Amino acid sequence: MTIETLIFKEIGLLPELFLGISLIYLVLHGTFLSVSKKYPLIQSSNLYLSILILLMVCFLLYNDNLEVLDHSIFNNSVANDYLSYASKFMLGISCIICLMMIQQYTIDQKINHFEYILIFLFAILGILLLCSSNDLITAYLAIELQSLAFYVLAAFKKDSTFSVDAGLKYFILGAFSSSLLLFGFSIVYGVTGTTNFEDFKDLFFSVYPGNTFDYVKDSALLNVTNPMDYQDNLYFSTSFDASLLNFALVFILVSLFFKLALAPFHLWSPDVYEGSLSSSTFFFAVIPKLGIFVLLLRIFYYSFYGFIDSWRYYVVIVAILSIIIGSFVGLEQRKLKSLLAYSSISHMGYSLIAFSTGTFEGIQMLLSYLIIYMCSGLCIWSIFLLTRLKNNTEKKQNKDLTDLVLLSKSNKMLAIFLATVLLSIAGFPPMIGFLVKIGVFLASIEASMYFVALISILCSVVSTFYYIRLVKILFFEKVLVGKLYYPIAVQRSVVVVFLFYLFLFLFINPSLLYLFSQKISLISVINVY
Amino acid sequence: MVTNFLFYFFSNVLLLSALMVIIVQNSIHSVLFLVLSFVTSASMLFLLECEFISLMFITIYVGAIAVLFLFVIMMLDIKTAYFTKDTLKYFPFGSFIGFVFLMEILLVVFKNFKSNPYQNSFLSNFYVNWFDKVDSFTDLEALGQVLYTHYVLHFLVAGIILLLSVIGAVVLTINTKEKTSRHQIVFKQLSRNYKNVLITKNQNFNL
Repeated sequence: MTIETLIFKEIGLLPELFLGISLIYLVLHGTFLSVSKKYPLIQSSNLYLSILILLMVCFLLYNDNLEVLDHSIFNNSVANDYLSYASKFMLGISCIICLMMIQQYTIDQKINHFEYILIFLFAILGILLLCSSNDLITAYLAIELQSLAFYVLAAFKKDSTFSVDAGLKYFILGAFSSSLLLFGFSIVYGVTGTTNFEDFKDLFFSVYPGNTFDYVKDSALLNVTNPMDYQDNLYFSTSFDASLLNFALVFILVSLFFKLALAPFHLWSPDVYEGSLSSSTFFFAVIPKLGIFVLLLRIFYYSFYGFIDSWRYYVVIVAILSIIIGSFVGLEQRKLKSLLAYSSISHMGYSLIAFSTGTFEGIQMLLSYLIIYMCSGLCIWSIFLLTRLKNNTEKKQNKDLTDLVLLSKSNKMLAIFLATVLLSIAGFPPMIGFLVKIGVFLASIEASMYFVALISILCSVVSTFYYIRLVKILFFEKVLVGKLYYPIAVQRSVVVVFLFYLFLFLFINPSLLYLFSQKISLISVINVY
Repeated sequence: MVTNFLFYFFSNVLLLSALMVIIVQNSIHSVLFLVLSFVTSASMLFLLECEFISLMFITIYVGAIAVLFLFVIMMLDIKTAYFTKDTLKYFPFGSFIGFVFLMEILLVVFKNFKSNPYQNSFLSNFYVNWFDKVDSFTDLEALGQVLYTHYVLHFLVAGIILLLSVIGAVVLTINTKEKTSRHQIVFKQLSRNYKNVLITKNQNFNL
C-alpha cells in the first residue's frame, strides 16, 4: 500500500473536485471570521465567494473537452458524457442566478449564518455528482448529499415554526423515499450482481421492447449434456425471470417520483414550499429537477430500456395524475408559493409524459422542456423575491395573490415581465413555453399515446386559468390603491431582463434549443433500438 | 482446538445473554445483557475471520445503538414492578408464535437449498481447496485496498456527507441569541383550559 493509490489518475471530475475543496476552504473562512468578532455580517462576503466559486466551476466545465477516452472514469462509476456535461453547465448557470437573487432576501430575513450559502453549495455539489453518476452507489450518495442539504435549508429559520415544520416534513418524507430507493437498488444488485449502469446495459442487451421475457424455464438448465449447448442455453436463448427486476424498478421509480413531487407522492411539496424560507424554496423548486431527470434517463433509458413495456405504464399513470392534480388543485390556491408548487407538479407531469414515450423525440422534448422549465422558474421566483412589499411585516415569508395587485401601476416593466413569463408557462404562442409544450404533446402523439395527449391538453387549458388570473390581478383589478415596493438593484434587474429576453428570442429562434437538446439525446443517451 | 473451544464458549454466552435480555426484570440489566450479546456475537464473527463485520458490530451496535437504549431507559424511569405476573400467562401464546416462525424458517431453508443441479453434467464441480491456493488477505486489508482505489470517489463523497451533516446539526441547534428569560408561571399554566389553548391574536401566550 503506497500513497500512489490515492492519486487521482483521472481528472475528468475536476469541477466537482474544485467545488468540494473550495467548500472546505469556505468552511474555514466562515469559521475564522465568525469567531473573530461578535457576530460580524459575513453573509454577503460568503455569498460573493460562492458565486465566484460557481463561476469557476462553470469555467472548468466549459473547458472540459469531453475526450472519448475519459468517457467513464473512477472505475466506471462516473460518466463524463455530453448529457452530464450539458446538464451540469445548465445547473451551474442557474445556481449562480439563484444565489444572486436571494442575497437581498437573506439580508431582509436577517439570516447571518455563513452556513446558509455553504449548504447551497453542498446541494449543488450533490446535484452535479448526480448528473454524472454512472453507478447505483454514486447515485445514492449524490442524492443523499443533495437531500440532506435540502432538509437543513428547509428548516433553516429556527425561530419560525413553519420553517421547522417544513424541515421536519421534508426530512421524514425524504428519508422514506431514500429508503425505498435503497431497497430498489439492493434488489437490483441482488438480481444482477452489479451496480454499474453500463453493466446493466450489457447484461440485458438481449431484452428489447416487445419480446416476452416473463418466466424462466428451470428445466432448460438441468437437461444439458453438451457444454456448448449449456453455454448457449444459459446466455442467449433462455429468458430469465424479470419480475423481481421489475419490482425493483418500480421502487426506484416511486422514490425518484417522491423527490420530483409527482402526483400521488406530492403531498409534502406544497407544505414544504410554503413553510420554508422563500430563498430555499426558490432553490429546491427550480434546480434539482433536472438532476433527477438525468438520473432517470440514465437508469431507465440507458440501462433498462428493454423493460420499457413494463415500467412505462406506471410512468404514464403518474404523469396523468400529476397533471390533473396540478391543474385542478392549483385553482384553489390563494397563496403564490403553493400556486407555484402545484404548477411545478403539473409541469413535472408534462415532462414525465415526454419521458414515457421512449423515443428520441421524447427525450429531446423532455430536455428542452426541462430547460425552459428551469428558465421560467428562475424568472418567476426572482420576481417573487424582488417584489419586496414596503409595509410587509418582516416575518412574512409568503405572498398572497393580492399582494401583487396593480403591480402594473407601480412598476410597469416588472409587471409586463411577470405576465410574459406566466403566459409562457401557460403555453401562449409568442413565447417559447408554447413551443416546448406543443413539442411534448406532439411527441406523445407520435408515440401513439393519443388519450394521454388529449387529457393533458385539456388539463393544460384548465391550468391556464390560474396563470391568467394572476395576469388579471397584475393589470386589470378595479382597485384604486395598490402596494408599494422597494426598488430593485441593477444587477438583479439585468438578470431578469436577460431571462425575459430569452423567452422571446427562443420563440423566434427555437432551433438553438432544439439543436442543443437533440445533440444531448443523440450523443449520450441511449440505446434506443 | 482452542478456536473450537472459544466458539462454543462464545455461543453459549451468547445464548445465555440473549435469554437474559428477555428474562431479567431490571431494564438496565437487560440492556447490559444486550451489549454482552453483541460483544459475544462480534467475537464469534472474529473467530470466523470476518473481522470487518465484527468491528462494525461493536462500533455500531455497542457504540451507538445500545448506548442510545441506555440513555432512553435511564430517562424514561420505568417502574419494574408487576412484570412477573404476566409472564406465565403469555408463555403459551409467545412460544406458539416462536414455533411458527421457526417452522417458516425451516421450510424456507429446506425449500431453497436443494441438491447440486450440475451433478450429472459436464460441469460438475470437483473439490479444490482454494484457500490453500490463494494468498490470504485479512478482511480489513482487502476492503481497504478496494475502498481507497476503486471507490475513492465514493469515500470522499461519504466524507463530504458527514461534513454536511455535522454542519447542519450545528446550525440547526446552535443558539446564538442571548438568553431570553423563559421562566415558568405555574399559575398561568394550570389555569389554561381547552378553550384558550389555541393562540389567538390578542392573547398573551408568552408563558
